[in-house]
Amino acid sequence: MSLTKPTNARPVLGTLAVLGYIIMIVPILFVVSTAFSAGRTVSFPPKGFTLDWFGAALGNNSFMSALGSSMQLALIATALALAIGVPATIAMHRGKIPGKSIVQGLFLSPLVVPELVVGLALYQQIMVVLGLGNSVALLIGHTAILLPYAVRVTGASLALADPAIEEAARGLGASPLRAFFTVTLPLLRPGIFSAALLSFVTSFNNVPLSLLLQDRQFRTLPVTMLDYIQQNYDPTIAAMSTLLLAATVVVAIIAERTVGFAKIFGGINK
Amino acid sequence: MSRKPAWLLLPGLVFILLGFAIPSVAMLLAPPGVSTGDVFVRFGEMLTDPYSLAIIGRTLGLGLITTVTCLVLGFPIAYLLARSTSRFAGMWLALAIFPLLLSNVVRTFGWIVLLGSQGAIGQLITGLGLAPEAPQLLYTELAVVLGMTQLFLPLAIISCYSAVAQVDPGLDDAARGLGASRTRTLWTIVLPLSAPGLVVATTLVFAGAATAYTTPYLLGGSSQRMLATELYNYSNVTVDWASASATALIMTLLVFLVSGLSSLLSRGKSVQS
Repeated sequence: MSLTKPTNARPVLGTLAVLGYIIMIVPILFVVSTAFSAGRTVSFPPKGFTLDWFGAALGNNSFMSALGSSMQLALIATALALAIGVPATIAMHRGKIPGKSIVQGLFLSPLVVPELVVGLALYQQIMVVLGLGNSVALLIGHTAILLPYAVRVTGASLALADPAIEEAARGLGASPLRAFFTVTLPLLRPGIFSAALLSFVTSFNNVPLSLLLQDRQFRTLPVTMLDYIQQNYDPTIAAMSTLLLAATVVVAIIAERTVGFAKIFGGINK
Repeated sequence: MSRKPAWLLLPGLVFILLGFAIPSVAMLLAPPGVSTGDVFVRFGEMLTDPYSLAIIGRTLGLGLITTVTCLVLGFPIAYLLARSTSRFAGMWLALAIFPLLLSNVVRTFGWIVLLGSQGAIGQLITGLGLAPEAPQLLYTELAVVLGMTQLFLPLAIISCYSAVAQVDPGLDDAARGLGASRTRTLWTIVLPLSAPGLVVATTLVFAGAATAYTTPYLLGGSSQRMLATELYNYSNVTVDWASASATALIMTLLVFLVSGLSSLLSRGKSVQS
């Protein structure tokens, strides 16, 4: 209840802050209460208590196959973005590269263009013009929007690591490869972990790209849920949402315990 | 010694070019079955035809209202947390950041539960006898602004927080010691010095709001069309590539415009103060 003291001291600021928290949090609480409601439609107050909607959500084939697709896509796109992004970050920070700021700008450029626009470009040019499948287009698109995170977040932790340590290892006779794997990589580990976590969550939750690059064969969970909400008005979706909320809380706790929330998100707006 | 070879950059550069830059340019110059230049003709038409102008206007308007709302609610949260000495401040900050990890679809669905015809707010209004029937809340501008504020408020809080945290609290004390009221200290010291954070917040929130699809789709319905829902319709429903590409161009320019203006505005301000 840290806000109580400043609230008393600063009535206007305190009121605005409370309103802000209400708008951020209260709708989520209503989703959870709906998930346990015995009523057949989404309504308030909840009618009775049941766990049936969780059964319905877990037994829903389109949700479960979409969940699998989203996990797969998020894992592969994250791995790809890191595999491409980490070496590039090291080269940008430690190497002497002509036109460094242009290169850096290029790597961050997918962040500047709206994701919906990236989705349209890939849909048109990769799926329609080149005729490639939507899973390929999705992987390219997701990796492209994750690259800026990978470069930024690992770059931030690389900037903190002293290059002299690596040089000392080389001076003591370690090969460049050995110096990299035994000195640089461990220094980068928190950065890489943060980038991986942020990338996975970003890809898993992504709507714009998955929306434009959708196909019957490979559908992601957010798009499947959007369709379901538009066509049905029962609490199954609330139960699915509550399950996602629980999983997100677990991810958040892992993030807080390992590197700390603020550090992970510090990388977003620098 | 630590000169890393430039070829480490190569996979990334190739990927950005093939997977992002070239398709984006091709989308403007050569959509399938559309001759070069048609996208720009359609772009010009959209800037003059009333139907498209209304949608551009709504996107800009609701985007700006959302941005201002997020700043008005987000700055106080950031300021109170940055200046708080409570041991729970970290927990409150985590609570403000946590929603960013949660799916937009889940967060937006909450408003359907709250604002729907059988939702909590409607039930409350009729229950208290304030109105005989629950007012239409869903599919209104209000619903869209509330939904977008929920989604993007955490971005405003983080940006403002890192800016306020860099303003030395000693300056607050100095201003107060010289006789300024707390309100005056906030307006003349803390706010101008946090201007860079406010610019970042404005850019991030407006970019999110002007391109959000989930919110206008679920909470705005067919009466609140915005550029994002139009782009999807042109691309995946009516398959009108020239219009889809032109809408994408308008959307991108709108985001650039507001982001550029906000940093210009803050530069002018910091010169004054």
